[in-house]
Amino acid sequence: MDTSKLKSYVDDRPSEGVFRVHKDVYADPEVFEYEMAFIFERTWAFLGHESQIAKPHDWLATHIARVPVLLTRDASNQIGAFYNACRHKGARLTRTETGNKKYHVCPYHGWCYGSNGRNVDIKDQKDGCYTPAFDRDGHDLLPIARLASYKGLIFGSLSADVPPLESFLGELRFFLDLAMEQGEHGMELVPGRIEYAYDANWKMQLDNGTDAYHLTSTHTSFLDVMAKRSTGEGNQEAKQFDWQKRYSQEGGDFQFAHGHSVIWLNQAEVAKRPIFPGIAEVRKRVGAERAEWMLKLRNISIFPNLQIADSTSLLLRTFRPLSVNRTEMRYWCMAPVGEAPAQRAWRLRQFEDFFNVSGFATPDDTVTYETCQAGFAAKGLGYLQGHSRGLAALQAGPNEIASSLGFKPVASVKGNFLVQSETSFHPVYREWSRLMQAGLAGEGAYE
Amino acid sequence: MSDMKQLLDAGSHILMLEAALLDEQRWDEWLNLFTSDCEYWVPTWTAENQLANDPQSQLSHIYYSRRTGLEDRIARIRSKKSPASSPMRRTTHLTSNILLLSSSVDAAMTLRSSWTCHVFDPNSKKTYTLFGAAKHELVFLDSVWRIGKKKIIIQNDYLPSMVDVYCI
Repeated sequence: MDTSKLKSYVDDRPSEGVFRVHKDVYADPEVFEYEMAFIFERTWAFLGHESQIAKPHDWLATHIARVPVLLTRDASNQIGAFYNACRHKGARLTRTETGNKKYHVCPYHGWCYGSNGRNVDIKDQKDGCYTPAFDRDGHDLLPIARLASYKGLIFGSLSADVPPLESFLGELRFFLDLAMEQGEHGMELVPGRIEYAYDANWKMQLDNGTDAYHLTSTHTSFLDVMAKRSTGEGNQEAKQFDWQKRYSQEGGDFQFAHGHSVIWLNQAEVAKRPIFPGIAEVRKRVGAERAEWMLKLRNISIFPNLQIADSTSLLLRTFRPLSVNRTEMRYWCMAPVGEAPAQRAWRLRQFEDFFNVSGFATPDDTVTYETCQAGFAAKGLGYLQGHSRGLAALQAGPNEIASSLGFKPVASVKGNFLVQSETSFHPVYREWSRLMQAGLAGEGAYE
Repeated sequence: MSDMKQLLDAGSHILMLEAALLDEQRWDEWLNLFTSDCEYWVPTWTAENQLANDPQSQLSHIYYSRRTGLEDRIARIRSKKSPASSPMRRTTHLTSNILLLSSSVDAAMTLRSSWTCHVFDPNSKKTYTLFGAAKHELVFLDSVWRIGKKKIIIQNDYLPSMVDVYCI
């Protein structure tokens, strides 16, 4: 693919009020292969949450896109991340997703590694007639290039040429803190994760996670049920929000560097939040202003594979591209450690109601991504018109909200709910285009 | 022994009927099989060989402690506004291996069954199959057997892009 074609895929002309993305970004298998090489193998990617490997020798088998990664905690509580492949013949070392083991023994020829990745045994090595050249080679598991955590969220990179994690997350950290500091004793993933796959591009999910515009069309059946419940009929267990009250709220989005973005909406019903009964403690700990923002609706996209949504109760979602039109999803309900049982059950019911792939909202999203992917076969479709809403309301840099809260977005949008801006997608495609062009030109991903 | 056989026959009939009502989309009759305070629970797997055992502290695929939860789902399906259920998917449920686990004469029984559900989506032309086991607790109320509790285990929990009460 030549650079000019790739460059044309994201038509970004701020002075002319134009931001367009070509449908082939979602549909071209060649683009997908470049994404693997120039994005997923050259940026930070989310790997897991520290609560998943809480104790020494706990481990988690995960992936960065197609690459298998083994995340471990060793005897001295150090977290390590390795290619999940035996040095001998390449067998993946784990056969389950999580576990606790001092030693990982390869199921093939029995090579053995400690929870720190060190090779501790090559079966029958002494009698193996190996040459000194073999002995000079290291046999430990190969660590991935970079590993770092932020507030319990563990990220890894297959390339060493990445900025420090804190600068990669940058000013978005304000919103990560709002999610990860809700609990006095930290946050945890509630037991039970859900995994599913859909037949469409991974960026359909990336977009949809900060797409306010589809709510009143894709989710009308959900909204009808919510309207019925707000009159006291139907299932009351989830203590669901009266969603119609949301349409009159003020909201907006913030664009951040490195592909991250956030959408937000004021909260009409703070008392429906599971953290609300304990809000006095939260206010005392993080301040009244941040506590108020924890009650608002906030959906965060962390490029390229993590979303934290707090539109009903708190969700952590990671996605794994399998091919240009196949994506594997995994999500968890996130909650404060030590949450009272009544709030935990309430949180779960709100979560399942909306977020589950067997719930009321996600199936309509996911099936619709597949419908889009089918539509992308329309060769002449060219540029999509789905990245333009809100552009006239875009303000460069921080607006008064960001200034008052003390963070510096690249750009801000504020307006009533009906703006339903699509400007939250712009950081994604700017970063996408930048990384893809750098890769294709043989340049480093970061300066 | 014949009492047991009669109970098993009566219980099996409810399970087969439930499957048929879902396949034929006779939603009111399906809802009517459940008591108003029925518990309907589809637990997640918390690890490869470990099912969640507490819906109040662990994530479920679906958990309702009253029939209203099922009624909401039927309202949504009937609205035809849900892209995931429009056009409606066609299903075939097969229920088998029905065992009577326990009973108290003429008042309650617990049944364990195996199920598969084949789902065809006329929109995408794709077919998928979900399968697993179910545990029904039936109660004899107003001269009919009703479902007071249903727990559904999905064995192949690597899920497709949508799952609803009629797919399991």
